[in-house]
Amino acid sequence: MEILHIENLSFRYPKCESYAVKDINLNICAGEFVVLCGQSGCGKTTLLKLIKRELAPVGEKSGEIKYNGTDIKELYDRASASEIGYVMQNPDSQTVTDKVWHELAFGLENLGLPQEAIRRRVGETASWFGIQGWFRKDTDKLSGGQKQILNLASVVAMEPQLLILDEPTGQLDPIAAADFISTLLRLNRELGITVILAEHRLEEVFPVADRVLVMDGGKIILNGRPENIERGLLSLNENHPMLSGMPGAVRIYNMLQRRLPDIFNPSELKPRGECLLTVRQGRDFLEEHFKGEGQGDVKPERQEEPYAIEMKNVWFRYERDLPDILTGMELRISRGELFFLLGGNGSGKTTVLNVISGLNKPYRGRILIDGKSIKDYRGNALYRRKLAYLPQNPQTVFLKDSVRADFVELFKALEISRADYEPKIEKISEKLGIEGLLDRHPYDLSGGEQQKCALAKILLTEPEILLLDEPTKGMDAHSKLALKAVLKELKTEKMTVAVVSHDVEFAAENADRCALFFDGSVISSDVPEIFFAENSFYTTAANRMARRLWKNAVTCEQVVEKCIEEAGKRRKTVGEDGNKTCEKI
Amino acid sequence: MKAFSGYHPLTLLIYFLSVLMTAMFLWNPVIQLEALLGAGLFAAMLQNGKETAGDILFYIPLFIMAALANPLFSHNGVTILFFMNGNPVTAEAFIYGIALAVTLIAVLLWCKCYSIIMSSDKFIYLFGRAIPKLSLVLSMALRFVPLFKRRFHKVRKAQRAMGMYSSKSYTDRLKGTLLTFSAVTSWSLENAMETSASMKARGYGLAGRSNFSIFRFAPHDFLLLAFNVLLMLGTLMGAAFGELEFYYYPQISGSSLSVPGLLAYVCFGVLTLLPFIIELKEKILWKYFISKI
Repeated sequence: MEILHIENLSFRYPKCESYAVKDINLNICAGEFVVLCGQSGCGKTTLLKLIKRELAPVGEKSGEIKYNGTDIKELYDRASASEIGYVMQNPDSQTVTDKVWHELAFGLENLGLPQEAIRRRVGETASWFGIQGWFRKDTDKLSGGQKQILNLASVVAMEPQLLILDEPTGQLDPIAAADFISTLLRLNRELGITVILAEHRLEEVFPVADRVLVMDGGKIILNGRPENIERGLLSLNENHPMLSGMPGAVRIYNMLQRRLPDIFNPSELKPRGECLLTVRQGRDFLEEHFKGEGQGDVKPERQEEPYAIEMKNVWFRYERDLPDILTGMELRISRGELFFLLGGNGSGKTTVLNVISGLNKPYRGRILIDGKSIKDYRGNALYRRKLAYLPQNPQTVFLKDSVRADFVELFKALEISRADYEPKIEKISEKLGIEGLLDRHPYDLSGGEQQKCALAKILLTEPEILLLDEPTKGMDAHSKLALKAVLKELKTEKMTVAVVSHDVEFAAENADRCALFFDGSVISSDVPEIFFAENSFYTTAANRMARRLWKNAVTCEQVVEKCIEEAGKRRKTVGEDGNKTCEKI
Repeated sequence: MKAFSGYHPLTLLIYFLSVLMTAMFLWNPVIQLEALLGAGLFAAMLQNGKETAGDILFYIPLFIMAALANPLFSHNGVTILFFMNGNPVTAEAFIYGIALAVTLIAVLLWCKCYSIIMSSDKFIYLFGRAIPKLSLVLSMALRFVPLFKRRFHKVRKAQRAMGMYSSKSYTDRLKGTLLTFSAVTSWSLENAMETSASMKARGYGLAGRSNFSIFRFAPHDFLLLAFNVLLMLGTLMGAAFGELEFYYYPQISGSSLSVPGLLAYVCFGVLTLLPFIIELKEKILWKYFISKI
């Protein structure tokens, strides 16, 4: 049965030339799990908000949206509020009240349910979501993941038929995100709630989706089963930007198909002609077709350079009665190195950066920045052309009404005259591609744009050492590629960069060296090819697929390189054996 | 964990009001001492040993100061003890000072217990019944304040790590604080848009909003309330008969002990000790259950 029917929907914001969404035709059946993907700014949010009447933006709209056969404009207020649920990205700003139980009851109060009915529904919901343990807590005391589960639960308490989620895991770490997605999947599978989910992080949701929609420029360009999306993208454009955002298995399949076309006949592959989606499928496929020789290439160790950052037996805790966060931490980062510190949520990775940047003082141990003890940097000396720190939320970097005003404020503090700073602003804007954003209000920018502008501001202090906290949080694949390019350029400038991150895929692609932080200290550290090969759980999707063939292949590109190498060798031996036709690899 | 806080907010409010009003308006030394004793025992039950010790260290000097202040400034009374700077210091003023200090500390301690027991959600529940909109606004405000604080600290830290507004200059720092404040305010307003969207999406603004609370008026609430009313009646009866009247000036004099007076003292004594008894009973029961396992 059709639950949502959209016909010829177009919409544009007031005073806008172009349409935010255009000619959307879409049918969604009851009980479907639909994933909506596309680059930031492609119109996903606008489309989702148009479906939820209460949130529909103001502007010029044509076409119709029907929910269960009724135009959403004609739905009863109560039905519209309760039957179509909407969850947004930011866990903090969606929470209305101060107590968990009150938050759960909020929607039901609005519907005017009697006390006993609310008590029952709230209790039921809390039990189903497993939140009875923090039922009486303050909402402010919850972790980001818990907050987002609460936001979901308080919407589900109203018994929606259709659940719309706009990048709900954008602000969560991978573990919390996977938790959230599995809860969502349970809602869909066990309660039959129809789900429309907009997401950037596709690794988990892509294989379980019933249908995937790809949006670009306000239009739905693809609409089909996840297995067919890769083929669809390929037929639209060989190098479609969305391809880089696909799960590892899809990317490997895609690259193999493009780069080994002469010996790669999709019709002979298993599963027949269908794209690989999960790590298991990818692994089976690779092991069936390749033998795997050698371990894969390992980046040579960097030459010994003097240390830019050195931590010697550092101990830290926030308060006297609280447990230690850093327990005898030892860390050495050489000059010019791009270093990634990985680790679980709440393990204290951010604290490491706070301590290195002098914002928190350890109670024991020494920290040397460029060979000089951090205590010997008087006043602001450390933050002047030496070290810069970009916090997790780039918004915290801005205080003024425009990005440019913020830059100017910084130069005033650095005592640089106007004639000197104008070219600097120009140069950095060009480098990061933010020329068009300089006169915008920092809060009006999208997450990725904010990140770039914040990075620009930090770089204007001309640091030698750059600290980044979770720079890829909430970013789409395209922005990640842009960040990758920036990091590469910084590396050619010999800047030392220390990144704290959850994002193993991003670390594998970019790091000179990775380290795992656990229980207050670094427990392993190596070049990514060895680091991930030695890990069994904490590793990339590509490595999980290929680790039995080529242990040290950790990125999709490396796996594909190895496949091509092996195919090439085989072709050579086949050629020597006589002109047999190409054997199936 | 705290047995007394498990009662219904309304029961608790009535209890605290009864005790506080009586202690403040019935100027009788026995009543005041009973109020102090009850509050002290209750506070000791609610806190751990370290906090209680800290309290004692805080209240004893306060007690002495309050008690000594009165005879220094008030020279009423007939029993002159000695002269200071040509002014008489009287025994009545001295005793009145002690009574004043007892009342002051009893009221302070009761207020302290009140703030421990009556958490924000109970408060909101009570006032929400009268004005439903207000209770939501209060709840949202209580959610907003810690969020604002957290954001403020984050921005401050980010600015410090850029070496901004952290020089020795006082004006520079003040400027930084003001700028941060205004930035966090606009950040919060920006967020408020999203919060209001989330409220609207969940049907806020529909007619006939109801008010949910997790508190239930249970039989033990009724029992406590009934006790409370009875004991208050006993106390007020004593006051109504004029048996609780007590004068410090010009000479210490009170009504002689009578049946209604005695009844009032007993009633109020029991009333002030109720929370302590409830907590103690709970603790003993708990121990008993554990020992059985």
